[in-house]
Amino acid sequence: MIYVPAFLVLIPVVTGILILVFRNERMYLLAFLAQTLITVLAVSYFFVFRDDFASGAFVLGGWPEHIGITLANDRLSMSFIFLTILLWWVVLFYKYEPRKTDHSFLFFFLFLQGVFFGLLQTNDLFNLFVFIELTTIVATVLVGFKKTGSSLRAAIYYLLINTSGILMFLIGVLLLYNVFGTINLLHIRDNMEAMDSERLVQLAYILMMAGISIKAAIFPVYTWLPKAHGAAQSAVSALLSGLIVKSGVYLFIRMNQMFAALSLDYVDFFFIIGALTAIVGVVFALSQKDIKQILAYHTVSQVGIVFMGLAQVDAMTAHGGLLHAFHHGMFKSLLFLCAGVIIKVYRTKNVSEIRGVMKTMPFVSAMMIIGMLSITGAPLFNGYISKSIIKYGIEANPFQYAALFAVNIGTAASFIKASQIFFGEKPLSYAVKKRPPYVALAILSILCLVFGVFFAPLSDFFFTVDISHVSILSARGILEYALYLIAGYLIFRLIIKKDGSLIQRLRGFRPSFETANYVFVLYMAAMALHFIVL
Amino acid sequence: MNPVLTFIVVLIGLYGLATSKNIIKSVFCVTIIESGVILLFLNFANYEGGAIPIVSEDVAAIVDPLPHALMITTIVIGSAVTALALIICIKVFHHYGSTEWAQILRREDVK
Repeated sequence: MIYVPAFLVLIPVVTGILILVFRNERMYLLAFLAQTLITVLAVSYFFVFRDDFASGAFVLGGWPEHIGITLANDRLSMSFIFLTILLWWVVLFYKYEPRKTDHSFLFFFLFLQGVFFGLLQTNDLFNLFVFIELTTIVATVLVGFKKTGSSLRAAIYYLLINTSGILMFLIGVLLLYNVFGTINLLHIRDNMEAMDSERLVQLAYILMMAGISIKAAIFPVYTWLPKAHGAAQSAVSALLSGLIVKSGVYLFIRMNQMFAALSLDYVDFFFIIGALTAIVGVVFALSQKDIKQILAYHTVSQVGIVFMGLAQVDAMTAHGGLLHAFHHGMFKSLLFLCAGVIIKVYRTKNVSEIRGVMKTMPFVSAMMIIGMLSITGAPLFNGYISKSIIKYGIEANPFQYAALFAVNIGTAASFIKASQIFFGEKPLSYAVKKRPPYVALAILSILCLVFGVFFAPLSDFFFTVDISHVSILSARGILEYALYLIAGYLIFRLIIKKDGSLIQRLRGFRPSFETANYVFVLYMAAMALHFIVL
Repeated sequence: MNPVLTFIVVLIGLYGLATSKNIIKSVFCVTIIESGVILLFLNFANYEGGAIPIVSEDVAAIVDPLPHALMITTIVIGSAVTALALIICIKVFHHYGSTEWAQILRREDVK
């Protein structure tokens, strides 16, 4: 049982290689088998060590702990592992077509799962760098997998900006090694108070946070995300938006745990950054017409909400931010997968050209409506729970509350615009032959509802945090949701539908690569100004 | 070598990323940053009079071997990134007939 962390990394990678080598038609079964094995191992590992995760740590190669690479888990990483397994199951079902196995896709797909498990579990900072970089490389290949011009240019943009960010992270690792003489995350955390060169550690914090910010796609370094997630195929977009972006959120939590004794004032800075991320994401989403671009910009804005929750002193609000990251993983993958089905049938991505989905594909539109209700925060759906916890935490401060309120209204307006695809008449000149992927969509939508209704026992089970104070059918929650919808509808009718010159200019806004890097350098300078000088 | 000099190499790479308008130049700038990081690591591991880190009886003081081990991995990953980036460059050139960022990003998506 102690070897499970290593097996979680190895099994997907080895299975992927086997599938690539023996290009057999039945290889899809092997993928299902490997996925079952991983699920069983992870669940049993959780139940064996759930009271004492420290005893489940595994040191590779039998070295002493301060030299060797430790794979260790806690409740945070285990929950991320469960989300990973869930999303990979869903996409396996989604991509399954009898007698049409795409072997190279399966290879990269399974490989990404393996390296992501490594990223979640490792306790060694350099090993962490290796896994982040591997995730970037494999995700690049998956983004450019369609080999169309737009997906390739998105892939290279993604690769180069993430690599430059992660090299900054590596410089931070070097500075920490120089100060502490070890790169074991837990050892550094324990010795953080005893160190003598505070300036160097602060510089390390800034460089590492800069790299993580690019991974998490927060303002102002989010520009790669709409390109990459809009251009990739829908199954890949679901994975990237649902999970790979969350690696940034995960590392943000981990690194702040590690630097906790330094008592840096990260709360104010990252709250402002998170609020800006959320607002900018919503504004751009409102201006877009491409359905995948809309969803991709909403990933930016929802990550902003996650950061608004995480950057709080109050532990409960921070837990709300973390929960929102999980809930976002579920409903955003659901939305992307539904959008993928619709795009395939209608052969266009333009929201204003797709009409009458409710008639042609009733099942898919029902699933997509569940996703939309979740992302806008309707009561009974999972988005409501996490947004409410964040709302309770920040409502004492009127400015913070206003920012969250504005983002919620913008989200509602944007999805009212996207929901136009369900209504109207547009007879298709061809019959819809392919059956929609019932299983994949049903799993995610049922989970959206389950996490929206039975949230208290689930949160207690996974995180041992009691959130039963959130009431799902309070008059206030329903009134506020109605207010979001009404205000959103007004914004849609009065501003968005007119498609004025400002909206057109926002839609055409494409920051160049060198601008994005220039902004990245400025972002690091701003962090240095905040954390070191002030 | 002075660590400040190696840090300047990193800054040159960042400057190049923020100004170069061609994909291939951007790939080179990432490589330059990476070389700077590798040199920086080795710099911190090294000191005057330290022998190469192979332990034998007549060697008293050796330099820290861990950064060397880490940097080999970084070099391998860096070569993978560069190779992948250059391959995508070729593909992008086939699609757009250009490797200038401004020109490839300006095109509308083809349906």
